[in-house]
Amino acid sequence: MIQNTRGGLRIAACAVLLLSGCGHETKVTRVDAGLVTDLSGRWNDSDSRMVAESMVKEALEYPWLGNFPQVNRRQPVVVVGTVLNNSHEHINVQTFITDLERELTNSQKVTFVAGKGERDEIRTERKEQAMHAREETQKAPGKETGADYMMKGSIATILDEADGTKAIFYQVDLQMIDLESNVKVWFGQKKIKKVVEKKRTSF
Amino acid sequence: MSQVLSRFTHGGSVRWSVASPICCSVILAGLILLAGCGPSTNRYLLIEQSLLAGDPALAAAIVEQNVKEYGTKSRVLYGMDRGMTLQLAGDYQQSNSVLEQAEEEVERLYTRIIRSETAAFLTNDNALPYEGDAYEHVMINVVKALNYAVQGQIQEALVEARRIDHRLNLLSDKVREGSGYRNDGFARYLSGMLYEADGDLNNAFIAYRNAFDAYEEMRGWSRTPAPPSLRADLLRTTDALHLTAEFQRYRQAFPDVAWEPVTTQEQLAQVVLISYNGRAPRKEDIYLDLPISLDALQLVLLNRGLSQSRQRWNRGTDTVLYGLSGQVVRVALPRLVPQKTQVPSESMTLTDLSGRPVAVRSEPALNVTALAEKSLADRMPLITAKALARAATKFALAEGATRGAQQAAGKDAAPWVGLLVGLLTKGLAVASEEADKRSWQTLPDEIHVARAWVAPGQYQVSIQPSGHGNEAQLLTLAPGQTTFLIQRVMQ
Repeated sequence: MIQNTRGGLRIAACAVLLLSGCGHETKVTRVDAGLVTDLSGRWNDSDSRMVAESMVKEALEYPWLGNFPQVNRRQPVVVVGTVLNNSHEHINVQTFITDLERELTNSQKVTFVAGKGERDEIRTERKEQAMHAREETQKAPGKETGADYMMKGSIATILDEADGTKAIFYQVDLQMIDLESNVKVWFGQKKIKKVVEKKRTSF
Repeated sequence: MSQVLSRFTHGGSVRWSVASPICCSVILAGLILLAGCGPSTNRYLLIEQSLLAGDPALAAAIVEQNVKEYGTKSRVLYGMDRGMTLQLAGDYQQSNSVLEQAEEEVERLYTRIIRSETAAFLTNDNALPYEGDAYEHVMINVVKALNYAVQGQIQEALVEARRIDHRLNLLSDKVREGSGYRNDGFARYLSGMLYEADGDLNNAFIAYRNAFDAYEEMRGWSRTPAPPSLRADLLRTTDALHLTAEFQRYRQAFPDVAWEPVTTQEQLAQVVLISYNGRAPRKEDIYLDLPISLDALQLVLLNRGLSQSRQRWNRGTDTVLYGLSGQVVRVALPRLVPQKTQVPSESMTLTDLSGRPVAVRSEPALNVTALAEKSLADRMPLITAKALARAATKFALAEGATRGAQQAAGKDAAPWVGLLVGLLTKGLAVASEEADKRSWQTLPDEIHVARAWVAPGQYQVSIQPSGHGNEAQLLTLAPGQTTFLIQRVMQ
């Protein structure tokens, strides 16, 4: 009887072994938004935030920002141009730009005006106001603030990979260009290097 | 059966050998159940019928409905099939989303799971997750790039072009020169078109040059020479970049190619037609039945004769016959069945508002069947070696189980117990033998490209023969704009 049971157990063990590993569970954990979570090695929210903070810090330390108020007695007005994605990843450049705008605006040393994409919507709203809003609340056209500088840039990557090890090099370049003279008053650069290693075998 | 089991478990000193054959049988049976992940013929038949009827949305829905049938082992294949059908249905964003997931899955599968490898070694390769061939990986990026290009998102399409370049660079490091698929002329040619559409002539030239070199390198087996328009691209870009030496070299190499300088073409708009023609090859099993005695040889020959007269394999009959014989080892190998296109080229006509037509002919740019054949031929030695080793192991396990059971059963019951266990284990060994027939079957047999430069304005586009995806389109073209069109021709 005992041996019979043992045989049965052995068969059951074989079957359980075969069927094991088919199940999975989902686990959700809330973490601080500032926590660095490198899961795949790709560009992520931490990269976007860290590069924006570092670039802004660098931008604020350079003399162009101090010189402008001295001459013009006001904060410089900046518009964001194109930040070109020259990388191997579909990076949401808008998130990065928003991070930059937020950091620079909160520094209270720069004024941002709406960029090319946003302006159309605002102008349409003004036209609608002219037709439908009370006169005293209408916003008149031709009173937009012209930017003094345009911030442009690019995100590029260089990949190197062999035998399951991948080195990803990100280079973010930003430049502030004087819209009147085309002079580049500031050039910022931030580099990130990541190494992603994949195992060839696993149990 | 319960009587046989209870009899076995009452054995005293032969306890291990009793449990062992039963366990072996259970393992074999279990693995066969777990390995039943082969591709369904009906699925692809339904998809093809939908595409033939000009209803790619239904084809995409069929793929989605069959997600369970694809199973966890074929996530990559599901993503590829669904991505392709969604593209044809015009849902480019969703297509890119599922293809991105398929690409991530390919990366994840770099790590091989030993448990899956063992299961596959004891049953068949369908127990392994489908990774896809190298050319299929490149095609994932190609289809994604086209999805972005059709939507006019050239910057995003260029991300895919960079991924193609990286993938092909890795492949050329891995595969020895002249020995296999290590470069892709069409993928690089498309990258060149995308760079040029973005106005990046320098990168466009590099991509065009790499494309031409790839076509030359693959000429021995790809059945696709470099398209004449690619030669014109090389002349145009080298001239614009003032690369005098390269320009002279290409001028001498292609004296008959007509081309226009960049300064002329900058004022024009370009329409690029990508035509998917025919169906990618499908795979089927070839069974090698190896007899290990003269009687078994006679049985195999007799069964082969009957199978030929029936015009098809009957796996059930084979399982019982070979299981009873116990002297036949079966090896299953995959074979490609081409499904060639009947359309050698298309004619694209752009007619402006005054009724003046501009007509161009398409050129073959990629032969998917040739890539599939090369890929399978390169992998065949490894597949065969694995199949032989697997068949030998399964036979040895079945033989061990049969003998163990006979010993445990005692003298009286040994013959019929041996027969029963032999039929079960050896029959299972034969029944479980199946080649991995999975492949990206929603790809076309060939990809053709037609390119037309026209003055800016409004045009009616007509394509002959017409497939799905280009029904009476009216295009408004701006100077310097490149518009991509995709059509599917099933014939």
